[in-house]
Amino acid sequence: MTVAHDEAVEHGHPEHESTGVESRKLGMWVFLSSEFLFFGALISNYLIYSNRGGFEGVYPAQIYDIPFTSVSSFVLLMSSLTMVLAHNAMSRGDQNGTKTWLFATAALGSVFLGGQVFEFTEFIVEFDMTLTTNPAASAFFVLTGFHGIHVAIGVIMLLSLWGLSRRRQGLSNKGGLNLEMVGLYWHFVDIIWIVIFTVVYLLSTVPT
Amino acid sequence: MTATAERPQTTIFTRPKSTTGFWSWITTVDHKKIGIMYGYAAFLFFVLGGVEALLLRIQLSQANAEFLTAGAYNALFTMHGTTMIFLFVMPVGAAFINYLLPLLIGARDVAFPRLNALSWWIFFFGGIFLYSTFIFGTSVAPIGADGFGGVDGNLAAGGGPGSFNFLATSPDGGWFGYQPNAGPLYSPGTALDFWALGLQILGLASLISAINFIVTVFNMRAKGMRLLRMPVFAWMSTVVAFLLLFSLPIIAIALFMVTADRQFGALFFAPTGGGDPILWQHLFWLFGHPEVYILVLPAMGIVSEVLPVFSRKPLFGYSAVVFAGAAIAFLGFGVWAHHMFASGITPVAQAAFGLATMTIAIPTGIKIFNWLGTMWMGRIRLTTPMLFAIGFVAMFTIGGLSGVTHSIVPSDWQQTDTYYIVAHFHYVLFGGAVFGIFAGLYYWFPKLTGRVMSEKLGKTQFWLMLIGFNLTFAPMHWLGLQGMVRRTWKYAPETGLEPWNVAVTIGAFIIALAIAVFMFNWYTSKRRGRLSGLDPWDARTVEWMSPNPTPEYNFAVPPVVERLDHFWHLKYDEDEEGRAAPKPDMDQIVAGIEEEQLNPKTPIHLPNPSYFPFFVALGIPLMFYGIIYHTTTWGKAMIFIGGLITLSSLIGWSTEPLEEPHIEHPEPDEDESGEPAEEVSAS
Amino acid sequence: MSVEDHPTHPTPSQYWKIAVVLAVLTAIEVAMFYVNDARDLGALNTVILLGLAVLKFVIVVGYYMHLRYESSMLSRFFTAGFILAMSLYAVVLGAMGIIAIRG
Repeated sequence: MTVAHDEAVEHGHPEHESTGVESRKLGMWVFLSSEFLFFGALISNYLIYSNRGGFEGVYPAQIYDIPFTSVSSFVLLMSSLTMVLAHNAMSRGDQNGTKTWLFATAALGSVFLGGQVFEFTEFIVEFDMTLTTNPAASAFFVLTGFHGIHVAIGVIMLLSLWGLSRRRQGLSNKGGLNLEMVGLYWHFVDIIWIVIFTVVYLLSTVPT
Repeated sequence: MTATAERPQTTIFTRPKSTTGFWSWITTVDHKKIGIMYGYAAFLFFVLGGVEALLLRIQLSQANAEFLTAGAYNALFTMHGTTMIFLFVMPVGAAFINYLLPLLIGARDVAFPRLNALSWWIFFFGGIFLYSTFIFGTSVAPIGADGFGGVDGNLAAGGGPGSFNFLATSPDGGWFGYQPNAGPLYSPGTALDFWALGLQILGLASLISAINFIVTVFNMRAKGMRLLRMPVFAWMSTVVAFLLLFSLPIIAIALFMVTADRQFGALFFAPTGGGDPILWQHLFWLFGHPEVYILVLPAMGIVSEVLPVFSRKPLFGYSAVVFAGAAIAFLGFGVWAHHMFASGITPVAQAAFGLATMTIAIPTGIKIFNWLGTMWMGRIRLTTPMLFAIGFVAMFTIGGLSGVTHSIVPSDWQQTDTYYIVAHFHYVLFGGAVFGIFAGLYYWFPKLTGRVMSEKLGKTQFWLMLIGFNLTFAPMHWLGLQGMVRRTWKYAPETGLEPWNVAVTIGAFIIALAIAVFMFNWYTSKRRGRLSGLDPWDARTVEWMSPNPTPEYNFAVPPVVERLDHFWHLKYDEDEEGRAAPKPDMDQIVAGIEEEQLNPKTPIHLPNPSYFPFFVALGIPLMFYGIIYHTTTWGKAMIFIGGLITLSSLIGWSTEPLEEPHIEHPEPDEDESGEPAEEVSAS
Repeated sequence: MSVEDHPTHPTPSQYWKIAVVLAVLTAIEVAMFYVNDARDLGALNTVILLGLAVLKFVIVVGYYMHLRYESSMLSRFFTAGFILAMSLYAVVLGAMGIIAIRG
């Protein structure tokens, strides 16, 4: 008597989903849930130091340019729209639409990054606030800097997808890089900025 | 598609195809090979960490000894702790999980094989990076701090030619790197940058593994392998993966803040600039406490596998053991500040964390009682793995009891920074995790090699280790309560601490002897050990339904799991009183399983080897070396080159499919030329 | 196993509508900033701004990240990470004096 065996798995097909959720998607959601701990630490740092009085030098809250940051926040928010439109186009088999919306997302993300670079430059050059000015400034730059790095990595992935989509065979779900996964990452980077915009920019006060 | 057709090239470079030979280890994505590499690397670091400990013990065996300088002593206890935690216990856990998890759930590999290889290579390069501090690291006395280690900025010489002062240029801030001591002002030089950045690299490797293991457990289970039918070790691996997932990001940020302070002038922890040293302690221990459960839960899982097999009884209260493990992990996130009772936190915080710490004793106690219940009235076989598992239960209980005394805050104030604490954590980490690890090594050795380790040598090792371990660490309880201070390179003769310190040092060398016996046993058993066959231990769980040594494809025919302890129930029926009775044809059943699993009827397609994980990993330490030397041109160049290697390898990886089309896997009874006997259609 | 398997899928026009909602919420946030400048709303300002941020967060996660239509397992992982982070850091902020803890 031999043991019962599973026909579907016998030939060694690598895709296997006991939960019904595709592995790479599951992996991305698992990774994103860990990122809350990552950004939570950075935001906590900022909250601790930005609310501590008595430091020398400029506090970030003294020099925010809210109109400017509002515009760049809006840009990043809209890039989530273009991202989801790219995903939608791909799921309908619309390769041209996919290409266009991917490029739009990468473009909007780059605009956001450009805005961050401009803002940092202003802070450093105009207001003399650098990483080394005081702990509040250190916390600000490290928080927004890490977020910016995440955006930059996202832009690189988007441009890679866009490059792949321009091949004759277009984009598929088979390669190592997957549009849905990149989309999830991109939206996550956006929602972190939603939190940062409110908590760091809009709600920040200068301690007395 | 004929077998001799050209391999389609989906990337610029030809995809490697060999599964044997040296290069196959560089390009492997096979979880078993990866597990083996983790295991050997971890054991090498175990020996290095042990040597570091022996040097410490030589210094402490005599009052006012000058065997080591203070600087060398600090470096050695730092590297001993860092090595044992990050380069031994964690990777050996990874070795076990890598090799076994797919087998335990009836799968052919993990969810993301190339990512798995990436984790290993990142760990490998991270370990080399960290240890290269002994060659490249520099450590000078604090600049401008008069009378502290030397006015001219150099470490005090002295202690003579044999004083190991050369070791003093390695990280010396303790494995916990408290700030600002381990910051730029009080620890200038590069040694602590090797430490911080090295840990950063290692953390990345573990985080990637954690994601891989979680998806594997959720998605790759064989048919019928419901979550609550999984072997306990598979459950503990899952829990550990969640602990890693949620605790590593915190330490990553904390280490980055340290690097920012040290390399870029940030002021996170600089007291003169307004930085807060307590913030480091919170962030570090938010990771550090879950970390200790990461260290011990795999061993608890191993014990939960070994005890039932050698008691010939099912695990008592399987669900309770599983849920207790999850509860320990969950509660483990809520107790971190018990490492800070003496750091000036408020009374409210002390009370809250003291109480929370006490609650962890509950799920821990559940596990211990369930292990005892497993053995009670069982037909015990005292094999070597069983001895180590029972040793775990006893030693870990002792360590847990001293742990409970720490949870009482005023009592902890007396114990903090004394050897009493050192005793506690060595009882749980060595008497616990390390004993469990040896139980697992002896138990699963047949899966790796198809042979059994020598019982005689194994029992010799066990008894030497048990005696040596207790001789080393039991006296530390009363040495600590008598006031022997931790992390201090010498003690005065008037303290009366010397006699027991001599005993401790002797115990440490007995441990070393036990390890030597183990290494000899491993080496000789691999070559000449008794052949194990499919089921040397009369085991219970599905990993024993795969032949020994494990074939590359794990299962020719993945099991369809019908219940917990599925393999056992294929072999045994229950009589009227609920006792296990072997089926009349048990031997034929086992032989039949072995025959079926050794002879796959159709070719099995496995993920192809890949170069990319190796190269992606290679760029990372290059970048980090560049960060340490970023003020120089070639430092900047290293950042750029490392980044380029990693980025281009990632791009190559992203265009490479997991499995190349039309490549046939050789039949098991063919040679390695890769030519199958007949045409088959690709899946 | 792929994108096409989901039972419900917002249409592009629905995505555009959601984007308009998000834009409006952002506009309100920015307006609040100036309102608070003019007439200090104190704690109310914090509550409203945090509420708006939460709303945007949930909308992006639920619709753009599709979590509303996905297996509940994904929501559970995501929420677990979020709640763990909030709890741990709330305690740290309390211990560091940013959030006041009575006693």
